[in-house]
Amino acid sequence: MFNSLPNLQVSWEVISVSQRVSTTYGESPILAVVYALAAIVAIILFMSLTAMTLVYTERKVAAHFQCRLGPMRVGWHGILQSIADTLKLLLKEDIVPDQADKAMHLFAPVLCVLAALLALIAIPFSPYLAVSDMNIGVLFISAVSGLGVLGILLGGWSSNNKWSLLGAMRAGAQIISYELSATLSILVVVMFSGSMKFSEIVQSQDQGWWIWRAPVVGLVAFLIFLVASTAEINRTPFDLAEGESELTAGFHTEYSGMRFAFFFLAEYLNLFIVSSMGATLFLGGWMPLHIGNLTFFNQVMDLIPPGLWFALKVSGFIFLSMWFRWTFPRLRVDQLMKLEWKVLLPIGFINLLLAAILTLSGFYFFPGNS
Amino acid sequence: MNETLFYVLAGLSVFGALATVMTVHILRSAIYLMGVLCLSASFYVLLGAEFLAGIQILVYVGGIVVLLVFAVMLTRSDDLDEDRPTWPRKIVGAVGALSFFSVSAWLLSQSPFAEEKVLETSNVDIKSIGRALLDTGSNGYVLPFEVVSLLLLAVLIAGIVIARKEPQ
Repeated sequence: MFNSLPNLQVSWEVISVSQRVSTTYGESPILAVVYALAAIVAIILFMSLTAMTLVYTERKVAAHFQCRLGPMRVGWHGILQSIADTLKLLLKEDIVPDQADKAMHLFAPVLCVLAALLALIAIPFSPYLAVSDMNIGVLFISAVSGLGVLGILLGGWSSNNKWSLLGAMRAGAQIISYELSATLSILVVVMFSGSMKFSEIVQSQDQGWWIWRAPVVGLVAFLIFLVASTAEINRTPFDLAEGESELTAGFHTEYSGMRFAFFFLAEYLNLFIVSSMGATLFLGGWMPLHIGNLTFFNQVMDLIPPGLWFALKVSGFIFLSMWFRWTFPRLRVDQLMKLEWKVLLPIGFINLLLAAILTLSGFYFFPGNS
Repeated sequence: MNETLFYVLAGLSVFGALATVMTVHILRSAIYLMGVLCLSASFYVLLGAEFLAGIQILVYVGGIVVLLVFAVMLTRSDDLDEDRPTWPRKIVGAVGALSFFSVSAWLLSQSPFAEEKVLETSNVDIKSIGRALLDTGSNGYVLPFEVVSLLLLAVLIAGIVIARKEPQ
């Protein structure tokens, strides 16, 4: 009765980079070290490239929503704009306010990037590409995101500026509150798939993605996750922490140059992480789209490599988030708190309870027909 | 390998704990505390209790330290640095700390540690933890679990009562 995955077919061989390094280590330690170094360099490259691509995409998407063209000058359709901006940020003077707590001021952005970097460890890009496939993958990501909150709080406090302090307080209160709803909605998927390991969660969606495979509760959990995660990464309509018209730029008002770039990097990485969490938990991760017994359709879908499926789903998620930005007006602080504590949280609890009943009774769609 | 790692982490932990109580800036003290808590999570990982390590970070770093920093931020910033302690305070503090240290050192030296026992803790899966928590049998933890949740509920209600504005 507790076994919620009676017909799990392991048709995908999952291997993570850390596993590969440890198997190579037995044969030749030097090769393993080279391999691990290459992986680290790849992650760092991936980090900066993702952030740059996302910044460019956001500017382009925003521009086209407003019937503008966006960056057009640097390179073809402004494609090199982000590189130029990055170079500019790196060359700018790094100013620390006179009365600020210097060590903390320097440490805060590093903490934010560190949190995002740690979370990237657990993201399953494809069956063959994840840095580490932990037993506690989901829990790990929720846990390390707490470091990011601390980074924001410290950045705001150590700047010794009222706007920064207010922005940081708002960000902190908002992230702590919405973390609850996000976790409750993630728990629904953990319960249905019976695991916190990302590879097992993805494989449990072999017959259908949890967003529709779990009757109704999956969709409700997905919607809660969408709202709560947008709030967790401080994006519009929940960007009170840096509401320009009230707080100049919120917690990073006093930051410049490289350290400002670090906050910026962390922000866009968090967007990527949240989107890949959503794609993995609710939309099947790297699993191709299969529809029932349409064998031909399923075979065509299998031709698309799993890494590309993951990229497509994450891109869809990210586009949705950018779409939100130009659709909804910003909430007031009291509306923000009311939404979380009086609307999302009760729905989340009831949804979790229903999901528990459904899991125990084994009632969900496509319970392994092939 | 594991032993060296343990000694390095333990050394860092002691350093962090000392820094936590010796700095005069409250906020820095909170950050050192965060370091110590992360390091204790790393000990759990060394012992093979990944889940416990995750919970440690989630609850203590993501919850407690964030709450601490939040509370510090709500207070006035010129009150944040500790005063230089007076001599009587120093003496009383030293006596208290020394007696606590000697009692715990004595207890630790008396306790028989099973040195040769090989731990079988690797990969305690979440399902067995969950079942043990809700088991009513002799090995189950359902009673402590319920008592703790009652305590937390009481604390929650008390917090709301204190924070609530008096009805006019």
